[in-house]
Parts: sequence; structure tokens; C-alpha cells
Amino acid sequence: MIQLEQVKKIFPQTTVPAVDEITFSINKGNICVFVGPSGCGKTTILRMINRLVEPTSGNIYIDGENILHVNSDELRRRIGYVIQQVGLLPHRTIEQNVGLVPRLLKWPEARIKARVMELLEVVGLDPSETAWKYPYQLSGGQMQRVGVARALAADPPIMLMDEPFGAVDPIVRGRLQDEFLRLQQEVKKTICFVTHDINEALKMGDYIVVMNKGKLVQKGTPMELLSEPANDFVKDLIGDDRGVKLLDLTRAESLMMVPESYPVARDCPCFIDAIQPVKMALEVMMKNDSDVVGVRRGDKVIGTLSWTEIKKHIHRISGD
Amino acid sequence: MEVIRDVFLFIFNNSNRILEYTVNHLSLVLTVLAFSLVLWISVGLIISKYDRFATSVIGLANILFVIPSISLFGLFVTIPQLGLGRKSAALALILYAMMPLVRNVYRGLKSVDKSVIDAGRGMGMSTTQILYQIQIPMAWPVVFAGIRVAVVMITGMATVATFIGERNIGRLIHHGITRGNAEMIIAGALVVSLIALFLDYLMGLLEKRVTSPGLRHSSENY
Ligand SMILES: Nc1ncnc2c1ncn2[C@@H]1O[C@H](COP(=O)(O)OP(=O)(O)O)[C@@H](O)[C@H]1O
Ligand SMILES: [Mg+2]
Repeated sequence: MIQLEQVKKIFPQTTVPAVDEITFSINKGNICVFVGPSGCGKTTILRMINRLVEPTSGNIYIDGENILHVNSDELRRRIGYVIQQVGLLPHRTIEQNVGLVPRLLKWPEARIKARVMELLEVVGLDPSETAWKYPYQLSGGQMQRVGVARALAADPPIMLMDEPFGAVDPIVRGRLQDEFLRLQQEVKKTICFVTHDINEALKMGDYIVVMNKGKLVQKGTPMELLSEPANDFVKDLIGDDRGVKLLDLTRAESLMMVPESYPVARDCPCFIDAIQPVKMALEVMMKNDSDVVGVRRGDKVIGTLSWTEIKKHIHRISGD
Repeated sequence: MEVIRDVFLFIFNNSNRILEYTVNHLSLVLTVLAFSLVLWISVGLIISKYDRFATSVIGLANILFVIPSISLFGLFVTIPQLGLGRKSAALALILYAMMPLVRNVYRGLKSVDKSVIDAGRGMGMSTTQILYQIQIPMAWPVVFAGIRVAVVMITGMATVATFIGERNIGRLIHHGITRGNAEMIIAGALVVSLIALFLDYLMGLLEKRVTSPGLRHSSENY
């Protein structure tokens, strides 16, 4: 668990705080996403958590311990850090880059080798082909994967990820996001994730902190942000398609009608799974030219979802 | 054609003397190189850590570098503890090597990509580990560029030390000039060039061993 208490940073020779009295906490195993325009202080927050930047005032606790009481080098070895510019060591092989922290921690060499191979596999790189290459021989997407593998190497409970998928094209980014979410299901790290892309934030975050000019504007789950944006800044950040974005986060089962008797549902021309997003239901409805889909859980039909219900829902949340 | 034949004939007929001069020449250059590397690389490291000295130290190196070599050699000879011969010659050459070495060590260390150092710090590397595992290895291409300039320069400048008693290839050239003997001058220049090329080649081999293959493609930028 990570807690920030009234954390403030004013850089030397500046007057406006880069981060202004921010308070929040992140629960174990959650992804907390910081989102906001460039220069709003996201990177500074991350760098205060691993003490690359010291706060001007306020306190930061990890698992209840004030991080100022921990040796900063040791603290950093326990926190995985994916930096915005990737920052691979160009004179080291990929194997050496990924094994960096385990070597600092003096793991036995055999264990490091095994761990590196395992991790390259995990981030979707072919170990036997990649391990002996140098960074300049990789593509941008491959480098970012190595950056993530390096941060994961010593199996730190906490990860700081600064725009980790920023330097790749949207298609690769989407794939890296999916793969990372799948990985997170297994490893359950506590993650601080920085992005300026609201869609990435909504997709990756269990919890989102919206920032502007160093100030915390709103914090909440993606659902809360979409359904109750605190002000115009958040509304603008989310964009005009707030309703549709919400449908992407709403499971079909939460809007479905449970019919009096099953035959009605069974008459539906098409079906979707209960846990699929409502957006998918719309897609299926359009394809089948139907106003209604059946909702299934496993083989069982458990309800129906109609165009009228969806419309009502959108009106409800956008308040018009 | 005639000249070339005469030059080779000269070298052939004077091989013992030329060999002696070459050995002297090489030993002076290698002595100077050894001291210069230890001294100036250390100074480069120090000024990159204590930045406030950097401008004045590099400024001093530049000033030394533009003093005409003949006057610096001459000046040292007048100092009783140095006198005619190797001590004065070596000291002067070491001072000339300061500029390419100190400057390139400093530049090499400073030109290391900030984001890489930042990554190292973020991973929990100590300042010393960052210096030895990131900054120095990444500085090698620039440092070697300086070393190679220094080697070629020292080899050429060492010829001037013949005026203060060094019996090296410079003597061949000097005698050639006083006697108006073209073959002698050309033979001297040829041997000096060969020594320089040979040492530069050795440094190239060393550079290849020391510099990571991951940097080699980018070393062409310097
Ligand atoms: N080392 C520094 N010295 C002075 N100002 C800085 C420094 N680092 C960041 N800043 C300033 O702090 C603000 C926040 O920067 P940053 O945290 O990098 O923003 P973000 O990551 O959200 O783009 C910016 O205005 C930036 O110029
Ligand atoms: Mg940033």
C-alpha cells in the first residue's frame, strides 16, 4: 500500500508547485493511473515515490513506513521503475539490462539467467533471439517490453510505470496494454501508472487520479469518473463520447432485463456473454439488425438487453 | 621514382641507426602515453565530478596546447632538475597530451544520455556503480577518440625532442635538413608516420576490445 499525504514539490528556482498538496492512497494489488496533460506533475509524483525527487513538504508511506527512513538505493531496488524515455543501457545486452537489479541484489548468476529468460518470455520476446542483442538492434515496441521486463526483474511488489507504452504506435500499444493487464492478473503488483491518454487510463486503471497543473482534480474508479466528472476539465479530458465510453465499462448483465419466462430470451436472434461490455451488445445488435440481444452465462440464457434500456442508461448518466 | 629508390636505399644502408632511433622514439612515446593516460584520465574523472573546476582545467590544457613545442622543450631544459634529455622531453609531451585526453574524458562522461543515468539511479544503482557501470563504459568511444589523437600527436611532436638530446627519428629529419639531404628527411618522415599508424592501429584494437558492441554503431558520431 502506498500513501501520499499533502505531498508538495516546488523545484528550485521555480515558484509554482509542480505537485501541489496531493493526498491519496493506492491499495495493494491495484493499478492507479495518473492522467493529465503534459507538465501537470505526473512524472514528479512517481519520482517522489522512489525518492529520485524529494518532496518539499508532505509525507509518503509504503506499507505504513515513511520512505525517508529507508536507504534510497535499497528502496529503489524494491520498486520497479519503467521510465518515460525507456533508458535501456546501450552498452549492455538485453540479458544484462533485464538482469540489472537482480545483479545489484547479488542473486546467484544461475538464478539471474533463469529469471531473465522467464521474463523475456513473459513480455512476449523470444528469449533465445533477444537476450544477446543490444538495445539499438530492437524496435521501439521491443525496447518498451524490455523496459517493463527490467522493472519486473527482481519481482518488486510495487511498480512505477511512466508512460510505459508511449513510444509505440496505437496498435502495438493496445496489444501491450492487453498483455500487461493479463500479466497483472497473475502478478498482482501495486502499480502507479502514468499516462496522458485518458483512454489508456480508463482501460488500465482500477483507480484514476486526474491531475491538472500540479493539483489533484478528481480521483475515483473509471466508472465514477465517467458517470460523475467533477468539473469541465475532467469532462473535456474524457471527451464528447463519455456515454459510449461508459458502455465499454458497463457489463451487459448490469443493464439486462430478467424476463418473466425464458422463451422470450430464447427468441432473441443473437446473444452475448453476461460479462461482456454493453458496447459489445450494441455491436452484436447492429450486425444482426436487432433491437435486442439475449444475455448468456455459460450455456444458460439469463436475460435480455434492449436498445431502449441502453438509451435510458445513457440519458441517466449524461444527465440529459 | 629515383627518390623512392634512394629513400629505401638510405633506410637499408642505415638500418642499425634507424632501428636505434625507432626504439628510442617508441620508448619515449610509450612512456609519455603511460603517464598521460593515468594522469589525464584521472583529472578528467575528477573535473567531471567537481564541475566547478572543469572550465579552468580545460582552459589550462588549451593554453598549454598552443605553446610552441620547441619553446616548451627549451624552457624545461633550463630547469636544473630536468635538464637536457628524456625528463624534459617526456614532461613537455605529457603536458601536450593533456588537452585531447582531459577534454575527451570530460566530454565523454558528460555526453552520456541523461535518461540512461536516470534509469540506473531509478533501478537503485549507487553513484559509484553509475560511474563504473554506465558513465565510463559509455564514454569509451569519445575517450578513445582523444587517446588516438594524443598518440599520433605525441609521436609527431617527439621528433622535436631531438633538439634537447633525444636520439630519435627527429634526429634523422634534423640532420637531413642541415645537410640538405632529401632522402634522409623523407625516410625520417616515413618512419614517424609508420610508428604513428602502428600505434593508432594498436589503439584501435584496444578500443574494439574495451568498447561494447552496443555502442560501436554510435561511436561514429564523434
Ligand atoms: N528537475 C526539474 N527542475 C525544475 N522543474 C522541473 C523539474 N522536473 C520537472 N519540472 C517541472 O515540473 C512540472 C511537472 O513536470 P512533470 O512531472 O515532468 O510533468 P508530466 O510528467 O506530467 O508531464 C513541469 O512544469 C516541469 O517543467
Ligand atoms: Mg512525464
